[in-house]
Amino acid sequence: MSGWRAAGLTYIRYSNIAAKLVREALKPELRAAATKRDDSSVRMTPWKDGKPNKGATIPGAE
Amino acid sequence: MNNFGRVLAAVPSCVAQQQQARGMATLKAISIRLKSVKNIQKITQSMKMVSAAKYARAERDLKQARPYGEGAAAFYERAEVTSTEEKPSKLLIAVTSDRGLCGAVHTGVARQIRNELATDDGSTKVVCIGDKSRAILQRLYGKHLLLVANEVGRKPPSFLDAARIATEIAKLDFTSGKIIFNKFKSVVSYQVSDLPLFSLDSVSKAPKITTYDSLDDDVIKSYMEFSLASMLYYAMKEGACSEQSSRMTAMDNASKNAGEMIEKLTLTFNRTRQAVITRELIEIISGASAL
Repeated sequence: MSGWRAAGLTYIRYSNIAAKLVREALKPELRAAATKRDDSSVRMTPWKDGKPNKGATIPGAE
Repeated sequence: MNNFGRVLAAVPSCVAQQQQARGMATLKAISIRLKSVKNIQKITQSMKMVSAAKYARAERDLKQARPYGEGAAAFYERAEVTSTEEKPSKLLIAVTSDRGLCGAVHTGVARQIRNELATDDGSTKVVCIGDKSRAILQRLYGKHLLLVANEVGRKPPSFLDAARIATEIAKLDFTSGKIIFNKFKSVVSYQVSDLPLFSLDSVSKAPKITTYDSLDDDVIKSYMEFSLASMLYYAMKEGACSEQSSRMTAMDNASKNAGEMIEKLTLTFNRTRQAVITRELIEIISGASAL
């Protein structure tokens, strides 16, 4: 079992962290374009019995 | 009952309009109407331009995103994965967006889900990506909703968007499922399609999983997580591209219709104006001859 899995990360989380590090390691002129790809505005709300559970909303942007 | 009332209410106003049909007041009314339709046409035309630019970008992005979805789908097909659970709980993921004014893209996806839910015993759950599918499904099938993602469609979808949604979906409990989205075919056509989802169990028990070398549970688990994110990414890209192309067509049609209306209104405007002039002339002449 790999270390990141033991630490409780999923593969997606693990690869996102890796991708972030790679982006930060880029040369400045390439980094600007790459950081643009690294944002997310999607907001998620869990629903139960036909009602949104607003308290548990996961806001956008990392 | 409600409709009946509306018909009754409409009758007197109709009569009032006819009585007023030739006069200064309608001339003014027509010119106001004409102006507002012209403004609407300007708006729809510029919306068409905007979505044309966005569409060009979405199509370029889609080309790059296709391998993600096709690769993931090919894996399930080659390994001949089928759902093996005894107590199935299905998950349907509706990929739409927050934005309207784009023809039937959202209703197509929602209709597909409604059809599936109609023949269901209550074990099927729904995840809505985008406010539009939520708004359509909420009233009848609100109890089936598990998760709603919004703020989709303002910007082109990024992989991080898909990854974050996939992380949340992976936390939900399901044995099989479908991602339902609009597959982009050409500028004028798209089709509601789906990608299959399976549980970890049914993948590791798949009959032809041995086609793939050196797989252990850990690798399969990691791949499952990744493939969910990449399939979502692909579906969101396809959806975004179909949406923009459909909005382009819808806005083009709206501008055309506004153009037709403007033509008709200009004609009635000119006719009414002449009628008013003629009537005034008659009044003057008959007034003069009566002297």
